[in-house]
Amino acid sequence: MSMSVDFKTYVDQACRAAEEFVNIYYETMDKRRHAITRLYLDKASLIWNGNAVTGMEGLKKFFDMLPSSEFQVNILDCQPVHEQATQAQTTILVVTSGTVKFDGNKQHFFNQNFLLTAQSTPNSTVWKIASDCFRFQDWAGH
Amino acid sequence: MYHQQKYALPLQKYGNYSNEEYSMDNRRVFQQRGRNYTWHKFDRKDYNFEHTGAPYAVGLNKKKRRWNDDDRTFLSAWDDRKHKESKMSYNAQNGTRESWFKVTIPSGRNYDKTWLMNSIMSICSVPFTPVDFHYDKNQARFFVQDASTASALKDASLKICDEENQKIIIFVRPSIVPYSVKSYFTPKQMEQIKLTMMKRYDVSQKSLDLRKFRFDRDLMSCDIDMMLNRRCCMNATLQIIQSNIPELLSLNLCNNKLYQLDGLSEVVEKAPQVKILNLSKNKLRSVSELEKVKELKLEELWLEGNPLCRTFQNESAYASAIRDQFPTLIRLDGKELLSQTVMNNENPQLRKESYKEPEIIRDLVVQFLKEYYSIYDSGDRHGLLSAYHDEACFSLTIPFNSCDSDLSNLEEYFKHNRDLIKLKDSYTRMKLLKHTNRAIVDSLSTLPKTQHDFYSFWVDMSLCTEVMLCFSVNGVFKEVEGKYQGCVRAFTRTFVTVPKSSSSMYIINDKMILRNSSPREIQKPFIPLPTVSPSLPKSTLSEKHQEMVKSFSEQSGMKLEYSQKCLDDNEWDYTKASKIFSILQTDGKIPKEFFK
Repeated sequence: MSMSVDFKTYVDQACRAAEEFVNIYYETMDKRRHAITRLYLDKASLIWNGNAVTGMEGLKKFFDMLPSSEFQVNILDCQPVHEQATQAQTTILVVTSGTVKFDGNKQHFFNQNFLLTAQSTPNSTVWKIASDCFRFQDWAGH
Repeated sequence: MYHQQKYALPLQKYGNYSNEEYSMDNRRVFQQRGRNYTWHKFDRKDYNFEHTGAPYAVGLNKKKRRWNDDDRTFLSAWDDRKHKESKMSYNAQNGTRESWFKVTIPSGRNYDKTWLMNSIMSICSVPFTPVDFHYDKNQARFFVQDASTASALKDASLKICDEENQKIIIFVRPSIVPYSVKSYFTPKQMEQIKLTMMKRYDVSQKSLDLRKFRFDRDLMSCDIDMMLNRRCCMNATLQIIQSNIPELLSLNLCNNKLYQLDGLSEVVEKAPQVKILNLSKNKLRSVSELEKVKELKLEELWLEGNPLCRTFQNESAYASAIRDQFPTLIRLDGKELLSQTVMNNENPQLRKESYKEPEIIRDLVVQFLKEYYSIYDSGDRHGLLSAYHDEACFSLTIPFNSCDSDLSNLEEYFKHNRDLIKLKDSYTRMKLLKHTNRAIVDSLSTLPKTQHDFYSFWVDMSLCTEVMLCFSVNGVFKEVEGKYQGCVRAFTRTFVTVPKSSSSMYIINDKMILRNSSPREIQKPFIPLPTVSPSLPKSTLSEKHQEMVKSFSEQSGMKLEYSQKCLDDNEWDYTKASKIFSILQTDGKIPKEFFK
């Protein structure tokens, strides 16, 4: 999107995309885990509690091994990312925080941030994850 | 005729149970067989253990039964040959060891077996496996092994209602060992089984391969039927292991039609060293079967090819359920299990090395953060103006249900709180998103004065492209003035930056999540960065002070700027400054970067 678009419109669009995306993402994580990698770009990167996972194969394997989850998102915020950083690919920064319980483990607080990039098809705009950074909050202070 | 005779065994009364449910091949009963013929070998086809009609079937003809007063045992008409064989194969020792109970459900035959057993199992407080379920006239009967199960079953009596709302009675009485459990191998047979097993034992690996054991040629040629699903066969096997190879490490029970692992539960005593167990290609239906052997400290387990594998939604649910039973497990079905440390992350050691980005980028980020936070903590945040891009964005959010329930001490921050879940109003959403560097810096200046614990930061590098960096900083800071002085807050701050020059960058997005820190996070001592503005020129120092800085730097080994800071903090009292320095130095509180 060119910068001639009003900043406010840009922000509104980002908010709507973020809300929609977050709903889909966490529901897929909890209920359709096998489909989660479809939300990521091929070259997407994931940092999960400091562990780096890259590439579609790596992501598939990782999400497969991760136990089943129950996410509860408490807050959500997003900001549009200026095109100077993205080479004109519409990107937004989405940040969430909440609690998660993985099967066989205790509940944790988590903070997560995503960079989402818009992929336009003739009919719609699909947002995909370019980067994903997830961290439990329980040991943030060592 | 044979069937008229009654027999009493020398050592213990022998029980036999009729089972009209199963059809009998008359001819077999009267066929000539060798002395060692084991009665229940009918054919080698698919034979679900639970339905081996043989032990309970009696000859075509009438059965006469007499019960003792205490219902402990009963005699019955019995085929002569069969009796002789049983006499020979009976092992008194094994027969009397366990305490068994017979459970009787009058009119049990009227109910569908699955429904009946499921109803009983759901009411019964103790899980159990029924042994030798069979019908006796109208009654359904089965055996259970221990006293607690027996009493739980007794309690279940009159608790289940059938379709006509009749309460189902359950009788429980002590009994002799059920037929199938008794050992019925002769010493000679045991010797043969032992030889066969030893042939399958690899001494170097301490591994025993009992795959498809029933179809072993040696056993078949001796007419020994080793159906490992049967208690008695499994018992015999375990006994042989215990007496000959108790050091067993690896046991392969693949393809033995195991429906349950009750028989294997003694493996913990008899072969306690077993670390590798292969139960693949059996008929185990539920993970709860594994509870019977969960005391084994298994490192490797094979379960593929069992019906239980299909009951899981996905591989990770499967792996996690298995791991719950065997926490020491390393490999499942040949694949390494995801190390628990990824989940627990007890030893992250990740700090700024959390992502394999090139050193240069890492150093750039560290340098950037140092400069940023030293200005941020300095008391005048306007110095950050040049750190932000003209069109940068900033917003702040406070998680609603964070670790602490009392959020009132974050009131200074709440007016900036932007949370799209709770805030639906478009105007306010816009207002709380600070846009342009001026607006951001003005906004930051209204936040309370802070002191960040720089050396405790964790940095995750999410994305690194030619034109952009995205990284998240996790850490803590202290409020140094105002109403909440001393409060420690934990934050996650995500920055998106673009290059400014080869060694610096602009912030284009700044997103902060702020909460009160947990007690754990407060424990470590704070080592703040020197908040002296880096632009402070040295020439403002008097000659005397400059000299002091030089010699202090030489003596302490610290860099000039830090020596200056130390002296400055201590009112240029050289002695005092050196004392403070030594104390901090001994406590190890002075970071390496301070030194030359």
